[in-house]
Amino acid sequence: MKLDSKIPDGPIAEKWDRHKFDLKLVNPANKRKYTVIVVGTGLAGASASASLAELGYNVKTFCIQDSPRRAHSIAAQGGINAAKNYQNDGDSVFRLFYDTVKGGDFRAREANVYRLAQISNNIIDQCVAQGVPFAREYGGLLANRSFGGAQVSRTFYARGQTGQQLLLGAYGALSRQVAAKKVTLFARRDMLELVLVDGKAKGIITRNLVTGDIEKHAGDAVILATGGYGNVFFLSTNAMACNVTAAMRAYKKGACFANPCFTQIHPTCIPVHGDYQSKLTLMSESLRNDGRVWVPKTIGDKRKPADIPDSERNYFLEEKYPSFGNLVPRDVASRNAKEQCDKGFGVGETGYAVYLDFKDAIARDGEDVIRKKYGNLFTMYEKITAEDPYKSPMMIYPASHYTMGGLWVDYNLMSTINGLFVLGEANFSDHGANRLGASALMQGLADGYFIIPYTLGAYLAKEKPGTVNTDHDAFTEASSDVVTTLDKLLSIKGKRTCDDIHRELGKILWDYCGMSRNEEGLEKAKTLVKNLKKEFWTNVTVPGTAAGMNQTLERAGRVAEFLDFSLMLLEDARTRRESCGGHFNDAFQTDENEALRDDEHFSHVAAWEYNGEDREPILHKEPLVFEHVTLSQRSYK
Amino acid sequence: MTKTINLTLKVWRQKNGNVKGRMETYEARGISTDMSFLEMIDVVNEGLILKGEDPIAFDHDCREGICGMCGAVVNGRPHGPEKGTTLCQLHMRHFDDGDEVVVEPWRSRAFKVIKDLVVDRSAFDSIIQAGGYISVNTGGAQDANAIPVPQNVAEKAMDAAECIGCGACVAACPNASAMLFVSAKVSQLALLPQGRPEAAGRVKAMVSKMDDMGFGHCGNERECEAECPKNISIVNIARMNREFIKASLK
Amino acid sequence: MSWLTDTLTSSIGKKLLMAASGLFFCCFLVVHLIGNLTVFGGSETFNSYVDHLHSLGPLIRIAEVLMAIFAFVHVVTGLSLALDNFKARPVKYEMKKNGGGRTLGSATMPYTGLVLLLFVLVHLKGFHFADHTSRSVFDIMTGAFSDPVIVGFYVFAMAVVAVHVSHGFWSAFQTLGLNHEKYTPAIKGLSLIFSLTVGVGFGFIPVWLSFF
Repeated sequence: MKLDSKIPDGPIAEKWDRHKFDLKLVNPANKRKYTVIVVGTGLAGASASASLAELGYNVKTFCIQDSPRRAHSIAAQGGINAAKNYQNDGDSVFRLFYDTVKGGDFRAREANVYRLAQISNNIIDQCVAQGVPFAREYGGLLANRSFGGAQVSRTFYARGQTGQQLLLGAYGALSRQVAAKKVTLFARRDMLELVLVDGKAKGIITRNLVTGDIEKHAGDAVILATGGYGNVFFLSTNAMACNVTAAMRAYKKGACFANPCFTQIHPTCIPVHGDYQSKLTLMSESLRNDGRVWVPKTIGDKRKPADIPDSERNYFLEEKYPSFGNLVPRDVASRNAKEQCDKGFGVGETGYAVYLDFKDAIARDGEDVIRKKYGNLFTMYEKITAEDPYKSPMMIYPASHYTMGGLWVDYNLMSTINGLFVLGEANFSDHGANRLGASALMQGLADGYFIIPYTLGAYLAKEKPGTVNTDHDAFTEASSDVVTTLDKLLSIKGKRTCDDIHRELGKILWDYCGMSRNEEGLEKAKTLVKNLKKEFWTNVTVPGTAAGMNQTLERAGRVAEFLDFSLMLLEDARTRRESCGGHFNDAFQTDENEALRDDEHFSHVAAWEYNGEDREPILHKEPLVFEHVTLSQRSYK
Repeated sequence: MTKTINLTLKVWRQKNGNVKGRMETYEARGISTDMSFLEMIDVVNEGLILKGEDPIAFDHDCREGICGMCGAVVNGRPHGPEKGTTLCQLHMRHFDDGDEVVVEPWRSRAFKVIKDLVVDRSAFDSIIQAGGYISVNTGGAQDANAIPVPQNVAEKAMDAAECIGCGACVAACPNASAMLFVSAKVSQLALLPQGRPEAAGRVKAMVSKMDDMGFGHCGNERECEAECPKNISIVNIARMNREFIKASLK
Repeated sequence: MSWLTDTLTSSIGKKLLMAASGLFFCCFLVVHLIGNLTVFGGSETFNSYVDHLHSLGPLIRIAEVLMAIFAFVHVVTGLSLALDNFKARPVKYEMKKNGGGRTLGSATMPYTGLVLLLFVLVHLKGFHFADHTSRSVFDIMTGAFSDPVIVGFYVFAMAVVAVHVSHGFWSAFQTLGLNHEKYTPAIKGLSLIFSLTVGVGFGFIPVWLSFF
């Protein structure tokens, strides 16, 4: 297999415009003859469904929840970036592009990122037109804040619920097309298989989560917008239903999976409390704009934080990175928190937490100002921990949050399977080895609103519409495979629950493939996961039947895919013998414990091809060429 | 401070929408007070699964109070006894050792029970499809700053837009009315200049769809506002009424 | 006319009918109460007020017809709303508590309404449709209120009016779209004052007259 990224020629600023012109168009009258399947209704899926339906395609849209409005994009708090330069502070498309490539530790495709930065402005226009109630200044113009390691204020936000508001905007657009009968909505559906006909993606198999029916759906192209795989760690800030199944089914049918080891550990999450914990809660990174991160200078200092004088506090981010201070990118902030805790300076019951202190900000701006900025976050913190962050500092610890890796796609967002497109967090393309704050929303919407409507058309223009229906043998075969797997899960009747096994898997990955990794640990983890996989397939128990609603069966299927996926993740981490962004290998660090890249050997995308059950996947490399940014050691000092 | 408590749960069990349900009793032992309510049910379910029994089905997803997927009536209160809190954010420290906890699904003709605590809220989607959006196609939008929106107006729109569509308003309403949900969307879009061109048609279409879905009528009892996990105000209902009157007279 | 029927048969439309007719009756209560205060001036004052009313002739007829129409609308719409509301929750809760919005008035609207309907019928039969040829209205009143059972019933009914109006009054404004952070507290205060005035004002008359 040869990876062809299909990056257009020409100067970087003109690539997308030229490419749009070169892309073939589908005649408006013919568009209604095509059916497009979209899986997922987060920012990417909902925006793609709506935009494609507006163009005239028939769209079948699937989501796992009871309503498309609940996809996990809804939980994004902080904001969305755009290079509007409304603040007159020197922002530009090129600066956003540059910051994103640098923030991603030079492991993203230049052309994709530049396009993303260009489109960012259209997204804000589109969302405002849809009625997204962004924060505004007194004069009525849009407000911005600086966010996640950016030195310009380019983040648009709607209180602490930006993701919710953007998603509801896209959900509105989607709903409008449902009413216009251009989108057929299938809620409470789990995609369990991808159907290929003559090597092209032509449909999917779903399970109706209410009736248990196995359903076949045919289309002329399939779009996956199924989100990331952060739940491989069991404990993450992802929603409970977030899973890697759709991506893994595509992978097992021939789509390459790129850079799975690029996982983002978010620095400001509420620390783990106990074994029963089902998920972790993120506190927006915007808190770092005013909160100061510190640990006591003495190991085992059990005094109340308020009783520890400034001279005995170690504001370790400010000390180490005087120019960015508490605003260093996520990977850097997370790693430093871990480093302090590993050395024994951590606080809280478990010793795995650091303080995020608003004392100085409250003294400077007053409690009211702080309440206005972060009120909802403080309330959320208090609800979960029963501690008042206005009075004592928050305790935070990093948690799995976002995954930069995903299915490999070319510039047109098409995977290595013809007719299978991948959008949003589910693809790998724009964030490199580390995603900057407020960039995920931007990417999801860019893919859905402004890229796929063009690139999908170019693919369909060469396809005859409606060539395949669900009577085709490929559908019969795929659906019987699905039934076989479900029956197998139900028949094991062992002694462990799937959550129990998932929790163990998560712990293995967190311990050996979390914020820092090493050769020995990764090897060990692979063995552990292989054993756990065996344990799962011989000792899991799933009560009930496949008929009707069976939430345990849903989860078991997802855990099965996470187990397979973990092995690829570990292998990717093992073979990437450098440190970059979210992938930190202990053996590769600078004298100051920063990530040490190896651009000579690893300036590439690692795309993995499935090679059969229990066999090592095949590695393909897409070289990354940087013509517009100079590769440098990221420095936030 | 972390401690553990024991509870007796009385939970509505119903195999599917076509059969009758009943309350069943379960013991929840050794529940840490740091757990969320849903984590407590997880613990009970793990026990049921290991005994080969059918675990309690319930909707949940983000578990951070924003997706609107979870919800049950706990001891007679939608999302439980804490104000401004979804079920996933309700922590067990608000319960005492030995408490009996009654857990029921949302009850409304428009929300049919699918299984146990899981109900069908697609009526909400239908209402939004009737007009809960601004009709702009992708592309071609003017610059985002072309129309200034006064800050207080944007804030009011945001107050309404915070609705998570969980259905607690319907569950809480003595009449199972959906007015708070519908009015939140109508208000958000009626307040913003971008939403004005369609305001009249929108409110009529959404109210008409709401009526078709079998919800009850608003009696201004304010239970919705009192139980809304996002503290959405009935000021929005008045605003919708106003919009409705204006639209009808046009 | 379809826009009008569409509007008035919708859920908000029905509430508008309730609000408009309800506010009409609130106005009526004010007028009625002011008129009734002449009772305290004694038989002559009161009877001259009655005569004055009757001398209005067609105007009073129109008012009566309007009241009958509004009463019909208020009762029929109210019953239809209550029935719809009952059907909107086919399976009741095992346990349901109030979240803090409900009041005595709001929770009992259909029931207090039915009591008031009964009261109005009794009241009309006893006073409006009574034999006015041989006795003055004042005499009819003092006659009726010499019976402690009737006094008790009237006082009870006036308490029910107060409860009904305590919710109905501000609720009508909410339904008509008048909810504003500045004015709503005033409307709610007025609602309370109004319901107390009506309840006490009307309720005191039978008690007062029972001493004649």
